[in-house]
Amino acid sequence: MSIIEIKNLKFAYEENSSRYILNDVTFNIEKGEVTGIIGLSGCGKSTLCQIIAGIIPNCIFGEISGEVIVDSIDISEVALSELAQEVGFVMQDPDRQIITQTVEDELAFGAENLCVPPKEIRERVDSVMELLGISHMAEMDPSNLSGGEKQLVAIGSVLTMKPKIIILDEPFSHLDEEGKDLIRKTIDSLSKKGKTIIVVDHDYKTAGIFNKMLWLEEGKISEHKG
Amino acid sequence: MSIKVEKISFKYDEENNYVLRNFSAEFHEGKITALVGPNGSGKTTLSRIIMGILKPNLGEIIIDEKNTKKFSLAEMGRQIGYVMQNPARQIFSTKVKEEIEYGLLNKGMAQAKIDERVAKYLAYFDLEKHEEDFPFTLSHGEKQRLVLAAVLAIEPKYLMLDEPTAALDYKRKEVLGNYLIKICQEKNCGIVLISHDREFVEKYADDVLKIRGGKNV
Repeated sequence: MSIIEIKNLKFAYEENSSRYILNDVTFNIEKGEVTGIIGLSGCGKSTLCQIIAGIIPNCIFGEISGEVIVDSIDISEVALSELAQEVGFVMQDPDRQIITQTVEDELAFGAENLCVPPKEIRERVDSVMELLGISHMAEMDPSNLSGGEKQLVAIGSVLTMKPKIIILDEPFSHLDEEGKDLIRKTIDSLSKKGKTIIVVDHDYKTAGIFNKMLWLEEGKISEHKG
Repeated sequence: MSIKVEKISFKYDEENNYVLRNFSAEFHEGKITALVGPNGSGKTTLSRIIMGILKPNLGEIIIDEKNTKKFSLAEMGRQIGYVMQNPARQIFSTKVKEEIEYGLLNKGMAQAKIDERVAKYLAYFDLEKHEEDFPFTLSHGEKQRLVLAAVLAIEPKYLMLDEPTAALDYKRKEVLGNYLIKICQEKNCGIVLISHDREFVEKYADDVLKIRGGKNV
């Protein structure tokens, strides 16, 4: 059984509107796959991810129809908090997601909300900070960091939650070459550990890391094997 | 004529280390000058100092031979159009077209000319179908195009662009790059381009300045 099954998904931001940003979208994603969602800006890539993560329609409203099954859960039947244990979502704009006063608090926050024991949270935070090369920023205020550094903190805060599915919305956009390499290697290593990863991008250059690419254009999706 | 950065040093507070250390640079009119460096090297901090948003601990910013120390933010804004790294931080109108109109109204431009210019920039950045939309419903890439349209529509003498291609797809990058070359050549605009986009920098920048650890490289 696929870990993500999407069938005949339609979505418009305004009700009773004919402006469908997603129009009869159907695809599956298998466990452990790295899937790229590619397309021009404004084509609906982030919208699709927000639906898989349950942000739409729980926090952002609109007209939605079709089926979205994530790890055998029909997302229309569960609370966002329940889905957050399955799907970790790194937003395109890290400023929208960072809320605490220090980098290490930010990395601990999600795990604390999942009631992970404090000792394990400490271990996860230290290990993720080391993985992403941000240990020296542990006590810094994230608001004073550069765009690229914030992007790494946002990614780290999702990794400490250890979700089965990780969605990275344009994770390379503010990173230098070193940071991009680091994220590519992290994606590869997580995938080998069985994590399912979705990466939104508008650039074919990252295609090498994908098992599968979904091309979104005018609300329709087409699939290309990696 | 140019923007001169002279021996700038800056730290955010007493407890922290210097983010910029004795950094100097010159950004000439009629040229695209890229400022490149790793994450956290001080690029965005420097852009904020040039714009007058942050005050340096040491050093000076000189625009067209004038020291900007006593310039107000409004005066700086008249000299340099600023596109921030995060477009959501500088959008505040409730309609896309009003966001582009705003800077032009503040310049005291006649309404007929404003309408003409808004139409031109909506078309150039492929935002026509969104002109009545609430900007915060746009995608990140569309927001970036909107901010570029709003700032470029003012046609300032200098432009400070902080990662302007971060959320743009390849088609829109080309549109932007061609436009920057056009305003450099035709209007003698001086452009500071802060970017990690190596391909874009190689293709469109005339000069490249490097920064690492807040220092000239």
